[in-house]
Amino acid sequence: MLKPRRHWLYLAPAALIMAVFGVGLVQVVLYSFRSDGGLFGNFADILARPDYVDLFVRTIRIAALTTGFCILIGYPVAYVIARAQRARNLLLILVMLPWMVSIVVRTYGWIVILGNRGTLNTLLMSTGLTSSPIRMLFNEIGVVIGLVHVFSPFMVISILSTFLMVDEVFEEASMSLGAGPLETFWRVILPLTAPGLIAGCAIVFLLSSGAVVTPHLLGGPRTTMVATQIYQDVFQSFNFPKASAMALFLLLLVMVVLWPLGRLERHLGRHLRQADAQQ
Amino acid sequence: MKMGGLLIRVWVAACLIFLAAPIVVVIFSSFSASGYLRFPPQELSLRWYAEFLSSEAWLKPLAVSFVLALCVAVITTAVSGLAAVAISRRRFLGRGAFGFVVMAPLLFPHAAIGVALLGALAIPGWVGTLQGIFLAHAILCLPFAYRPLINALRGFDPSMEEAAMSLGASPSFVVRHVTLPILKPAIVTSLIFTFIISFDEVTVTVFLIGPKAGTLPTQIFTTIQESASPVIAAVSSFLVMLTVGVVFLLDRLVGLQFFSELERSR
Repeated sequence: MLKPRRHWLYLAPAALIMAVFGVGLVQVVLYSFRSDGGLFGNFADILARPDYVDLFVRTIRIAALTTGFCILIGYPVAYVIARAQRARNLLLILVMLPWMVSIVVRTYGWIVILGNRGTLNTLLMSTGLTSSPIRMLFNEIGVVIGLVHVFSPFMVISILSTFLMVDEVFEEASMSLGAGPLETFWRVILPLTAPGLIAGCAIVFLLSSGAVVTPHLLGGPRTTMVATQIYQDVFQSFNFPKASAMALFLLLLVMVVLWPLGRLERHLGRHLRQADAQQ
Repeated sequence: MKMGGLLIRVWVAACLIFLAAPIVVVIFSSFSASGYLRFPPQELSLRWYAEFLSSEAWLKPLAVSFVLALCVAVITTAVSGLAAVAISRRRFLGRGAFGFVVMAPLLFPHAAIGVALLGALAIPGWVGTLQGIFLAHAILCLPFAYRPLINALRGFDPSMEEAAMSLGASPSFVVRHVTLPILKPAIVTSLIFTFIISFDEVTVTVFLIGPKAGTLPTQIFTTIQESASPVIAAVSSFLVMLTVGVVFLLDRLVGLQFFSELERSR
């Protein structure tokens, strides 16, 4: 089939496509050093501005909140899907369908719902719960709601994939040995599904800190995140070198968070496999 | 556990309503007659659909997105299929590294990928061109095409091909009648997934569009910023219906279980 030494031919197209990405990363590094204020001018400018410190803190806060809320949605939903018999496919479709609808479409939906004269506010005011509209758009509430909606299916899928490998007998065994539901969850289910949970957190944090469209549309000009700042630097101030430096800071931020999560996930996975082998 | 079980179910139902809410709202508001974005709509009308389907400003990006996604799906599936064959069947220096490189786009925040590709595509002057957007989508889709294919090829028993060969089949006959049929579920998964990713992609694409080249999602993005016209609701509802169609197609062709398969190999 595959003749000897021909494998490079098979790899070449994929290698060429990925080379474009590689060249882009090199460009980002090269451009980030291009400034009027010396080699590290762009980095120094960013670090010297207090509003950019706020920007990074806000980005971490929004991404962390989004990850937290995604756990609150993802874990129970994954559990119910994994344990469902007949309804599993229907539940899966109810999670997958919103996931596959374009991000812009879903974000637009949230604009319709959360606006001052939107669905939720007209509902709240007509029932008399509030007299004036509650501001949910163009602030962090709107951004977090939008990002949780966009990325929670990733968490569901990630946790679900480990739940499907955890047999229900573990739960039953733990309960029959006298553990209550909470103790069973804490000492049996959670440790077994932790790798999927951690992987899900890593994905959601990565995606929400890199998102542009949802924070840009729901956050407005004041609730910027690092990613939307990069977009604005490119298209509003046409400052590609600064955007590049910003992108490197974003990469650093994501790496600082994801590196320990990845280590933890591998450690837990190895631990679980060892326990499996000892049975 | 009874009480707790009920609580979990109620919470999960609330979560599912949360997931469905913006989509349902968009569909309903697309039928409103007033130029207002109001839910529930007061008077029903199809005028926004008429405006969408009669305006070149919307139909052109729709056609672009469709053709682009089709090309991206076919080409990335073929390209990653070739790479997966080489990696699963040959031992060579840098084999592990190559597999890692193909998956690398998954490890970068999208805004950083957008800036990087803007930098790379500026060299040949491809920013704001369709070939530039095509390359960007190919890079983003490669991991999603590669993953099902490499998994299927790792589980592939080469003795099947050897048996066919020893019975006198020519290599091209073996590929057509043995290899491809066994890989069919993975190929279909890859095609549909890359089509959807390319068709929906917006975060990286907004960095690369120009006055002459834009996709349907980027057109929605720029239009929302200018005005909240209900035409967007009609376009969006159209996209939702398209997605519903694709999900049902997926369920029919390969089943929905593969979603969790896909994630496991991450």
